[in-house]
Amino acid sequence: MSRLGIFVDRKTLSNAEQLTSLIRCRDVAEDLGHSVEFIFPVDINKIEKVDALFIRARTDPMNITYVAARMASLLGIPVIDDPRSIQVCSDKINMYAHLMRGHVSIPRTVFLSRSDLTIEHVAHLFDILGSPLVVKEPSTSFSLRVERVHDVAEFFKVARRFIKMSDWIVVQQFIESRYDWRVGVLDGKLLYACKYTIPSVTFKIQASVNGHLVYCSVESVPPDQVPPHVIQLGIDAAHAIGTGLYGVDIKNNNGDAYVIEVNDNPSLESGEDTCYPSVYHTLVSHLLRK
Amino acid sequence: MNERRNGKKSRDSDRVSLRPVAVPVHDPSAAGETGFISGRATESMFYSQTRNGSKTFSKRDNALLKDSLFVIKRNDTHHIISENYYYKTEPYYTILQHELEGKKVEPTSSAVLDAYVIPICLTRAASAGIPVCEWGISQAYVPLPAILYGLNYFSTTLDYFVVSDNEKAKDVIKHITNNGKYPFCYQKFPDGSDIVTCTSVFGRTADAGTPVSDYAEKIYEIFRLPLVKLVFVVTGDSYALSSLSPTRYAQLSEGERTLLSAYLSNQEFL
Repeated sequence: MSRLGIFVDRKTLSNAEQLTSLIRCRDVAEDLGHSVEFIFPVDINKIEKVDALFIRARTDPMNITYVAARMASLLGIPVIDDPRSIQVCSDKINMYAHLMRGHVSIPRTVFLSRSDLTIEHVAHLFDILGSPLVVKEPSTSFSLRVERVHDVAEFFKVARRFIKMSDWIVVQQFIESRYDWRVGVLDGKLLYACKYTIPSVTFKIQASVNGHLVYCSVESVPPDQVPPHVIQLGIDAAHAIGTGLYGVDIKNNNGDAYVIEVNDNPSLESGEDTCYPSVYHTLVSHLLRK
Repeated sequence: MNERRNGKKSRDSDRVSLRPVAVPVHDPSAAGETGFISGRATESMFYSQTRNGSKTFSKRDNALLKDSLFVIKRNDTHHIISENYYYKTEPYYTILQHELEGKKVEPTSSAVLDAYVIPICLTRAASAGIPVCEWGISQAYVPLPAILYGLNYFSTTLDYFVVSDNEKAKDVIKHITNNGKYPFCYQKFPDGSDIVTCTSVFGRTADAGTPVSDYAEKIYEIFRLPLVKLVFVVTGDSYALSSLSPTRYAQLSEGERTLLSAYLSNQEFL
């Protein structure tokens, strides 16, 4: 019997769907004969007592999840998400750079530093990437700090806000689509696939519209109904980052598929894995295989 | 190890380049072909005209101006010298750029994260035999007196607070946790203790032969930060590392500036 630690924070447990999902994970681990302990930030020293760690809280290199991941890593304890994946996926500059290096198909992408923010540069970007453009602050998650801009003035309004949070920002060609594929990959293999259907009032998977939060709908899709090139692109994108657990967002536009982002710590609480009942079994077995 | 101290002459000394961050100059008309823009990225990943390019330096003019960033190459290793190495800053991305281009670079992006995230910094320092402050993570309660550090996206190691009474602790905790949203790191601060800081330049301090100077060398061996402020808690004769934090060129003593300039101008060899 091995001990699995699940690292959570208050926010994780305040969400009923996430809590239900975590209980499902615990039950699967216990059915496999392992013991499970939920580890909170104040109990971080307990990490040394577990055989593997599964992080289920919002990750960022500057927060406690990175401490947990790095502690596990320093102790030689298998961990999802590993610190390198957190470092890469939490920063879109780093993430896209890895995808570029891995020759993974992404929308045409430019990194801009503060000194690049000139009218000439920006006007040129509209010339070569078209309009609208998508501007991203590198630490964005859940589509926060992702904006679509249609002209130079609108670009600067957004970029000036984002450049206060990061010395570099991301500018991308806009790819239109009604839904995103989410391909879940673990250790280079398909774990699950689903569709995130984007609300008609926005272009993001989550947005505030007239003061109300609008979420995408989630539809789990069996593997034989996912275009093979989408699955392969998801695996290729994950491979460009590492060997952990990733949720790869893909737009499949007129047969051309583009990776929009690779997420560490992907959501598993909204029905993403309905058609894949063995997701937690695979995850737990992977973490505790040694 | 510093080669001058070893009495060796560097064969690479003539190849040292002292310059602001090396970046491709963007040619707008050629962007599509040269690949500053990437769709399928067989191309260069970074698009920039003059990264941090408002300040330029020559070997004769290695002025330590605010925010200036230097890259010196010694024996195939690129050393990135900056006042700070915070996540998502120009120096951080300069390091990342070197790593992604397959160049050997110091410090690494992973090392700067380790250095500036207090629990990891102290864990790694303790593993190397450096005495560190006793620390813990909390959401609300702390044993007093204590030093408190935020542990979130918005906090920096420059912002630490010594608290000795509950009322002040409550206010500080509210501040550094964004009203309880994030956990924080506390360190025990024994009665009669003081906080002492010193600046490490490539692992050397202006005052050699002190306990701190020995620790500075060890800390450099771990994190390879060319320029960093070391924060210690001193209790009696005992030193314990509390944190590593950025410094400003303007805050360097005359001795520290001389030392840094010597490295930049290759009078001191790495």
